[in-house]
Amino acid sequence: MKTIKSIAGLTAVMLISGALNAQSATVLYNERVVELEQTLPDATDLWVKPEDLTRVNDFVLKPEGACLDELCVPVLQDRDSAMFITRQGQPWFNVTELADKLQQAYVTDYNDGIWSFGTVPVTRQSFLRGGEAPDFELMGRDGELVRLSDFRGKKVLLLTWASW
Amino acid sequence: MPVWQSIYEELKSENFEIISVAQDTGGEEAAGHIFDDANVSYTAIIDVNHQISSLYNLVNVPSGVWIDEQGSIMRINEGTYAKEHMNGAWGTNDYVPIVRDWVAKGADSEHVWDRSKVRESIIQRTPEAERAQPAFRLGGYYFTNDNDEKAEQYWTMAQELDPTSWNYLRQDLQYEEGGSAGPEWRARREQIEGAGGAYYAPLEIKNN
Repeated sequence: MKTIKSIAGLTAVMLISGALNAQSATVLYNERVVELEQTLPDATDLWVKPEDLTRVNDFVLKPEGACLDELCVPVLQDRDSAMFITRQGQPWFNVTELADKLQQAYVTDYNDGIWSFGTVPVTRQSFLRGGEAPDFELMGRDGELVRLSDFRGKKVLLLTWASW
Repeated sequence: MPVWQSIYEELKSENFEIISVAQDTGGEEAAGHIFDDANVSYTAIIDVNHQISSLYNLVNVPSGVWIDEQGSIMRINEGTYAKEHMNGAWGTNDYVPIVRDWVAKGADSEHVWDRSKVRESIIQRTPEAERAQPAFRLGGYYFTNDNDEKAEQYWTMAQELDPTSWNYLRQDLQYEEGGSAGPEWRARREQIEGAGGAYYAPLEIKNN
């Protein structure tokens, strides 16, 4: 047991030195471009500070798990897991692990540390199964934010086109 | 576009709005003047990340979606020109009258689809096509940051992941020799149409 502890201690020391060069990363999600000053260095996964989670994908870390509205994905926070670890008192949340659980698509440029996430499938069911129009929030040409939900009570003809 | 502006003028007092969204990575510079030339007063958006196509599972432009007062889709995924184009090669003059009919009669319009027809008309994506969305978004990020090499890399990836998207293909071709309606686009079209596929999902219009 003692040996295991000391190995764990050694790993922690190595991770502290890693944490000193904690990498910056850029996350793309919908229209947003989120610059993260610190993420936990990892070859394949994106670990962010819990307070950055909401900036990245709207999820909020609560005692019951990572939650988006009524949806909560359970996350153990009193011990390390694939989704959540604590290093030197600093908790880290694994955003890509959450994405995998939710079957949310993403594409990464590892060299540049840029993570591009697709939409969260569970939020798409009312569209795919129910034919409800997905809400959106985009900047209008007049500089005002346009939300589809602001047009409730009107019929909307939504048209796409392109200059090319 | 001038046609849509006149339709809007005609119907806007009847609780009707047009939201017109340019799918243009080139942004204001590429698409802004087209809105300006038509003097549009309806809601105009330049959507550099093609987010509307991404959200509504659309693969070509122009495309139209009818959304009712409660936010339910009434028609979707149609190649919606306001009038005949290129001597009738595309579009029809029969589309605007059905929009008018819908605005007047709402759910009682015979041109409104039922739930199952709406569901069937939404394009289903493969898991690969789902990944095409963030790949295209990443390419767009590099494009706006003047890294053309990486933009090309991820745009190509998006096209490979979702070969059904004309938007991904043509947005990319726009920045290459030959342009968005050049030989490569024509060859792809002929290939798909030759195999019995359609460039646009066919417009279904009931005749009275």
